[in-house]
Amino acid sequence: MNRSLGALLAVGLAGLQFLAVLAVVFSSYVTSERALVRHARDLLRDVGVNTGAHSMGFLSPAQGAAELAARLAQSDVVASDDPAALEKLLFQQLQLAPQFAGLYFGGQDGSFVYVMRSGDSAGPFRTKIITQRGGRRQVEVLWRDDAFRLRSRSSLQDDAYDPRLRPWYAKAKAARGTIWTDPYIFFTSQQPGITLAAPVMGGNDVLRGVVGVDIEISSLSDFLARLTIGKHGRALIVNRNGDVLAHPEPQLIKTRAADGGLRFTNLDEIGDPISRAAFAASWHDGVVALPGAQSLEREFVHQGSNYLSVLQPLDSDQLPWIIGVYAPENDFIGDLKRNRTVNIVLAALVSLLTGLLGLALAEYIHRPVRAFAVRSALISQGEMDPDTPPPRTYRELARANDALVREIVARRQTELEYGQALDNSPTAIARVALESGAIERVNRQFCLLTGHDRDSLTAMALADLCAPGDRGEDDLADGERLWRRADGSLIWVALNGMLIHDDAGRPRHRVMLAENITPRKQMEAELDRLRSDLSHLVRVSTMGEMAAGLAHELNQPLAAIAQNSDTARLILSEHPDVDPVLDRLLLAIEEQSLNAGSIIRALRSFINKDAGERSRFELGPLLEQSLKLVRGEASDAGICIRPEVCDEPLLVEGNRVQIAQVVLNLLRNAVEAMAGRPGRIWLRVTAGAGALTVTVEDDGPGVTPGLTLFSQFETSKPGGMGLGLSICQSIVEAHGGRIWHEPRPGGGSRFHFTLPQGGAGAAEEA
Amino acid sequence: MTEQTAESVDPVPQLTVFVVDDDADVRAAITLGLERRGYVVESHASARAFLERPHPERPGCLVLDYGLPGMNGLELQQVLNRQDRPLPIIFISGHGAVPQAVQAIKGGAVDFLEKPFRQSVLVERIDAAFAQLRDLISQREALRRNTARLASLTTRERQIVRHMVGHPAEISSKEIAAKLGISPRTVDHHRARILEKTAMSSAAELIAFVQRHGLG
Repeated sequence: MNRSLGALLAVGLAGLQFLAVLAVVFSSYVTSERALVRHARDLLRDVGVNTGAHSMGFLSPAQGAAELAARLAQSDVVASDDPAALEKLLFQQLQLAPQFAGLYFGGQDGSFVYVMRSGDSAGPFRTKIITQRGGRRQVEVLWRDDAFRLRSRSSLQDDAYDPRLRPWYAKAKAARGTIWTDPYIFFTSQQPGITLAAPVMGGNDVLRGVVGVDIEISSLSDFLARLTIGKHGRALIVNRNGDVLAHPEPQLIKTRAADGGLRFTNLDEIGDPISRAAFAASWHDGVVALPGAQSLEREFVHQGSNYLSVLQPLDSDQLPWIIGVYAPENDFIGDLKRNRTVNIVLAALVSLLTGLLGLALAEYIHRPVRAFAVRSALISQGEMDPDTPPPRTYRELARANDALVREIVARRQTELEYGQALDNSPTAIARVALESGAIERVNRQFCLLTGHDRDSLTAMALADLCAPGDRGEDDLADGERLWRRADGSLIWVALNGMLIHDDAGRPRHRVMLAENITPRKQMEAELDRLRSDLSHLVRVSTMGEMAAGLAHELNQPLAAIAQNSDTARLILSEHPDVDPVLDRLLLAIEEQSLNAGSIIRALRSFINKDAGERSRFELGPLLEQSLKLVRGEASDAGICIRPEVCDEPLLVEGNRVQIAQVVLNLLRNAVEAMAGRPGRIWLRVTAGAGALTVTVEDDGPGVTPGLTLFSQFETSKPGGMGLGLSICQSIVEAHGGRIWHEPRPGGGSRFHFTLPQGGAGAAEEA
Repeated sequence: MTEQTAESVDPVPQLTVFVVDDDADVRAAITLGLERRGYVVESHASARAFLERPHPERPGCLVLDYGLPGMNGLELQQVLNRQDRPLPIIFISGHGAVPQAVQAIKGGAVDFLEKPFRQSVLVERIDAAFAQLRDLISQREALRRNTARLASLTTRERQIVRHMVGHPAEISSKEIAAKLGISPRTVDHHRARILEKTAMSSAAELIAFVQRHGLG
C-alpha cells in the first residue's frame, strides 16, 4: 500500500512526540514510585527496630532490678528472713523505674514481701508482708509515702496467699534462672503488664526464694500512639500466641474474660481490621510465626488500598514478641499519584499543542507535494497543458516532475497514435475481457461489420453476437462463427484472438480480429452444390447416353429383321403349297423385333425425361466455378489453365449443370491428354452472331487420327467408356448448339461448342 | 413394274425409291422387300454417294437414315431443298429423338419412322409420297403449259388480263372497255380469244393463275 506523505508527516510530527512525552512522564513516575516505596519500607523497618529497642529499653531495667534484688538476698546482704530489710530493698528498687508496678520476694518457707505502687488514698506505696514464724502465719499490710515513712498499717486475717503456688515462683524455681511470664492484665491496676522472676539460691544450691518484678507495659501502647508513620501508619506488638500487647488505641487490647477478669484481645478479635490483615499471612493455628525468625516485608490490599507492612521479632531470647508496622502506600506515593494525573493531563496538552503544530508543519511541507500530484493527474488526463509552469515546489520534485511530464506527453502521443491505428484499421478489432468475454473496446471496422454502434457493443459480450444456434462452448476460441448483425442478417466471420500480457507476464485481456468471410462461404457453398449436381448428372447422363447408344445399335439389326421377315412372308405368299406355319413364324419374328424396338424406345424415353430444368444465367461465373473444380487436378499435373473470358455478362439459357458438365469434360479431357506432361490449357469465350462459342484448347499431343471423336464407345483413354464427348454432344445439341474439334496449329487440340446467346433459338424448342 | 407403267395414265415417268442408309443389313433388307413389292429401288451407303448418283434426273422418293456418318440426314435434306427437283423424303432413324423428328418434318419430310418399323407402313408412306410427287409433276406440267399459252397472247390481250388481275372487282367488259378506251364488244371478243388461247374455263381461273404464277 502506498503511504501518503501527508499522513506520514502528521503521524511522525504529532504522534511520535506525544509518545515521547508519555514515555518520559511514565518513566519518571515509575522510578520515583519505586524509590518512594523502598523508602517507605525502610521507614517501616526503622519504626520496627525503634519500637523493639524502645520495648527492650523499657523492660531491661526490670531485669536489672530483679536480678540485683535476688543477688542481694542471695549474698545475705539482705536477710531473706528479715521482712523489714527486704521491704526496704524492694522499695528502693521500685522507685528506680516508674514502669515497675511492684517488686516482691516469696520465700521457700511461704513468707512473702510485696511492695507495690498504690492508687489508694492511704499512701502511694503499699506493702504486703506474710511471715511464717514458729508455724504461725501472719499477714500485714503497710502504706508508706515516697520517703518510706509509714503512713498506716493493718493485719489481714483471712488471707491465704501462698507465693510458692504462683506461676512465676514455679517457673523460676524450675528454671533456676531469670524468667519472664506471659504478659497479662494486672488484677489490681487493671493495666497490661508482665512479670519477671529471678531465683534466690542458698548454700548447697538450695532455693531460698524467688524475687519478682511486675512491669506495666501500657506505656508501650502510649509509645506506639505517639509514633508517626506516614499519615496513617501504625505499629503494634503481638505476643506469639496472638495476644495484642500494645496498640496505639490501648482500649482495644483489653477484653473481658469469661470469668469476669480482663485478658488481652487476640488478633482474631481485635477491632482493627487493618492490623489483622497485616498479620494475616503469618497468623496460623493460633501462633504468629515468622519464617527463620527474620523480619518479613509484605504488601497487602485492604478495602481496595495498598498497604506496606513489616513484621519484626523482638530482639530477645525470652520474649516471643513480634512488632508489626504498616502504612498505606498512598501515604508515601499518594502525592506522586496525584502528580501523575496532573502530569498526564499536562503531557496530553503538550502533545495536543505540539501535535497541532506538527500537523500545521506537515501541511506546510505537504502542500507543494499535493499541488504537484494534482498537476500530474491533470496532465495525465489531458486536462492541463504540460507546458504550464509548475507550482513552487521542492527542487527534487521539480526535477522528477519534468521527467514525468515528458513521459506522460510521450505516452499520450503513443496512445493517440495507437488509438488512430486501431480505429482506422481495415480489420475489425475488439478488445474483450478474459473470462466473461465482455467487449471493452472496438474499432470502427468492428462497428461496420456488426452493424452495432460502440455504446451497444461495449455493453455486450462477444458471445451475444453469435447467431442463435451457433453459440459454441468457447466463444473466444479461434475459428469460424456465424454472427447476427444488428439488422438481423447473418454473416460468417473468421475469429483470430491474441492474448495481451502485462509487464509481469499475466494475461490482461484478449484482442480479437474478425474477418468477414461470408462471400467466401457462399462461393464454397455454390461450388459444393455444383459439384454434387454434377456428380448426379454424370450418373444420369452416362446412363442415358449408354441407353441411347445401345438403342441405336440394337435398332439397326431389329429394323433389318423386321424388313426381312416381312419380305419373307411376301415371298412365301407366292408359294401356296408351303406349310402355313412358316408364315406364322415369320410374322412372330417380325412382331417380336418390333416389340423389342418399342421396349428400347420406352427405356430411352424414361431416361430422357430427366432433361433438367432450364434457366437464364451468366456463363462467366459458371466457367469460373468449373475451373475451380479442375484446378486441383491440373496443378497436380503441372498444368496451367488460363481463362480468357470477357468481362461483360454473357447470358445463356439452359441447364447450368449440364453445361458445366460439358466444360468440365472438355477441361478434364485436356488435362488427361497431357499424359503427365506439363502444359497449358486455354479456356476462351467469344461472342458471335447470336451465339457464344466456348473453346477449350491445349498444347498436348492432339487427337489420334482416325478416331471418330463424338461417337459412343470410342475412346483413346485406357479405361474410358467413350461416352464423355458423346454426352457433351447430346447436351450441346439438346441446347441447340454444336460441338466440334479441330487440331491446334503447332500441336494440341481445340474443342469448340456453341450456345445460342441469351437462350434464344433452338434451346426454347427443345 | 410393267403393270404399274401401264396403269399410269399421265405422262409421269417411272418413279424410283432411293434408299440411303450406312447400315448394309438395313439397306439390303429394305431394298429386297421393296423390289419384291414391285418398286424400282436404288440404294446408297452415304449422303455423298446419293448426291453423286449417275441419274440425278430420275424422279422418286428418298428413304433416308437420319444418323448418317459424315453428312447426316438433316444436312442432306437442306442440300436437297436447295435443288429445284421434287424429292419427297421419308426419314428412318435408330435414334428416334423428338427434336430431330420435328426438324425433319419442318424441313418438308413426308414422315419420320423410328427403326424398327413395319414394311407395310413404309410402303404406305412411299405410296403417299409417290401420289404427292405425281400431283406435283402434273401441276408443274400444267403450269408449264399455261405459261406457254399466256406467252402467245397479243399485247392488247395481255393489257386486258393485267387489268383484270389488277382490279379483280372491275372485270365486266364495260368497265374494262371504259378503262382502256375501247368498245365493250371489242373487249368481249378479246376475252373469248384469251380464254380460248389459255384453255381456261373462266375469268376467275385465269385471274387466280396469273396471280399465282405471273403473266410471264
